[in-house]
Amino acid sequence: MNWPRALLTDSGGFQMVSLLHLADITEEGVTFQSPVDGKPMLLTPEDSIQIQNKIGADIIMALDDVVKTTTTGPRVEEAMYRTLRWIDRCIAAHSRPHEQNLFGIVQGGLDPQLRDICLEGLVARNLPGYAIGGLAGGEGKDAFWRVVAQCTAGLPEDKPRYVMGIGFPLDIVVCTALGADMYDCVYPTRTARFGSALVSEGVLRLTHAAMATDYRPLDSSCTCMVCKRYTRAYLHTLVTKEAMGSQLVSYHNISHMMQLSRNLHSSILEGRFPEFVQSFLQKQFPKGDVPDWVCNAMDVAGIDISMCRIPQSA
Amino acid sequence: MLGISPSMALRFEVLARHNRARASRLTLPHYEALTPLFMPVGTQGTIKGLTNDQLEDLDCQIILGNTYHLALRPGADLLDTIGGLHKFMNWPRALLTDSGGFQMVSLLHLADITEEGVTFQSPVDGKPMLLTPEDSIQIQNKIGADIIMALDDVVKTTTTGPRVEEAMYRTLRWIDRCIAAHSRPHEQNLFGIVQGGLDPQLRDICLEGLVARNLPGYAIGGLAGGEGKDAFWRVVAQCTAGLPEDKPRYVMGIGFPLDIVVCTALGADMYDCVYPTRTARFGSALVSEGVLRLTHAAMATDYRPLDSSCTCMVCKRYTRAYLHTLVTKEAMGSQLVSYHNISHMMQLSRNLHSSILEGRFPE
Repeated sequence: MNWPRALLTDSGGFQMVSLLHLADITEEGVTFQSPVDGKPMLLTPEDSIQIQNKIGADIIMALDDVVKTTTTGPRVEEAMYRTLRWIDRCIAAHSRPHEQNLFGIVQGGLDPQLRDICLEGLVARNLPGYAIGGLAGGEGKDAFWRVVAQCTAGLPEDKPRYVMGIGFPLDIVVCTALGADMYDCVYPTRTARFGSALVSEGVLRLTHAAMATDYRPLDSSCTCMVCKRYTRAYLHTLVTKEAMGSQLVSYHNISHMMQLSRNLHSSILEGRFPEFVQSFLQKQFPKGDVPDWVCNAMDVAGIDISMCRIPQSA
Repeated sequence: MLGISPSMALRFEVLARHNRARASRLTLPHYEALTPLFMPVGTQGTIKGLTNDQLEDLDCQIILGNTYHLALRPGADLLDTIGGLHKFMNWPRALLTDSGGFQMVSLLHLADITEEGVTFQSPVDGKPMLLTPEDSIQIQNKIGADIIMALDDVVKTTTTGPRVEEAMYRTLRWIDRCIAAHSRPHEQNLFGIVQGGLDPQLRDICLEGLVARNLPGYAIGGLAGGEGKDAFWRVVAQCTAGLPEDKPRYVMGIGFPLDIVVCTALGADMYDCVYPTRTARFGSALVSEGVLRLTHAAMATDYRPLDSSCTCMVCKRYTRAYLHTLVTKEAMGSQLVSYHNISHMMQLSRNLHSSILEGRFPE
């Protein structure tokens, strides 16, 4: 790739389960039908780590037994315990521990007790970093933030915490307030391909007819190449019709996410994190209709957002 | 020595010659270009896969827009409202638009040419529509490009018989209608297009007629359509010999590097073609030796850059093996190979200009 900065690879397990027919999880690993010739195949924790050792990323992820957040019943518990058994197999198979960091993934669904057991087990393995997995899968926002809060509280202070599959700016701000450090998601680039741009106020749908004569940049507060050189009207003509539309809106959306990252880092560094959160929420919810789950999470995070619940004057 | 044209918005200075070949400076309202020059085709206000910054990095000087596509999306009136395609695209250099006629005839079913204009079925709602020379010029006036093309009656080079003659004479009648309809002669340069198929006599008549109209520049049209190469170069040679020395000459639809080198040697200055970007989307890279097919299995383990003599961003950062995994599968493949191919064409343009300027064109 000729990429001089850092790389992180996932275990391959999630894609298999979500993309392949007849994928099945057993104690051995993930069994699935080869997409090439349809033959039965198996991805074990050892296989996943070996492949990731060859890819050579800075951070590699353990193969975990991940279930949909909407799953209930004994399957959730089974998956959590299996994840703990598999982390030991991942650790044993990892041949490059001084070049690549193996992160464990906390599972346990929406059940606080299961999450606690998993947290304890993974923390005891003294891994370089930890991910909070099994979220961003259809669970209600109220359950979502509570699991994140519980996990960040239970993970070591001095190690990075990665909430997998999170990409909505609002979710990132909340998780950051609750103590998480890293996030990944296809959302910013995928939504770009559907013609949606991420802006301070939320999401701008470029396919909307009104965009045809809107000659402003995507986001007046954005300084990226796209906002400097192109108007909404121009992008409106491209999105969903020309590859360039996806390209330019993807560029802007990634710029937006990286600016968000910088803002989070520097506002905390400079002791003005609450002000940043307040300003962020006021732009997203000018009518003061901040969702309850955000308010509850900010309570736990110790950030006063009462002024955000008052409508902004025009 | 400049010809004096009543409707001129350019300055063309031949800086050096080698026999028939010329290295020149073409000063247009939005940009000062150096010829010989390849002009990438931006169809609908964008060159597929390349940002404006990249086009500037690649030293693109004039970009083509297709009037037919632009009139459909975003539409001539919208462009007029915002002040033209330059502003809409935010392209600070030069633009050239074609007349719309060629796309209509090649893309649309039931397109037909009459003395009035091109009749066709609207691609939007199927209703019968007509594009007259006046309409074409009016739309191009709204788009606002530095160079606009007359609506010509263009026939396939493989056509024979009276149709070729009819088309040539109609092209001459239409140029007068285009000139009359042109409302911005001091901001936009209307180029006439020499037609006449592969018939030297017809070409001569057309040349004479267009030269008499004293236009700012001329295109050699009706080629690059399936004619044999032997016929092709002879028509180019005849036309460059018959066109004024002191005005730019544009061979339409030419994009193979070899064709460009030959036409330059014969005295042409400007070229356009979708070929470099289109072939990129099919996984072919233009290199010094010819064409590199990146889809070929051997590319999977070839860790060299596309072209060892190329200094573009793609050749500096990516290998053939990496590009092999992308082409025809990921948009990024098209993008990177397009970038390289345009770089290749602009490097060719620079080489042609500087070798003539420095007296080493034969070498």
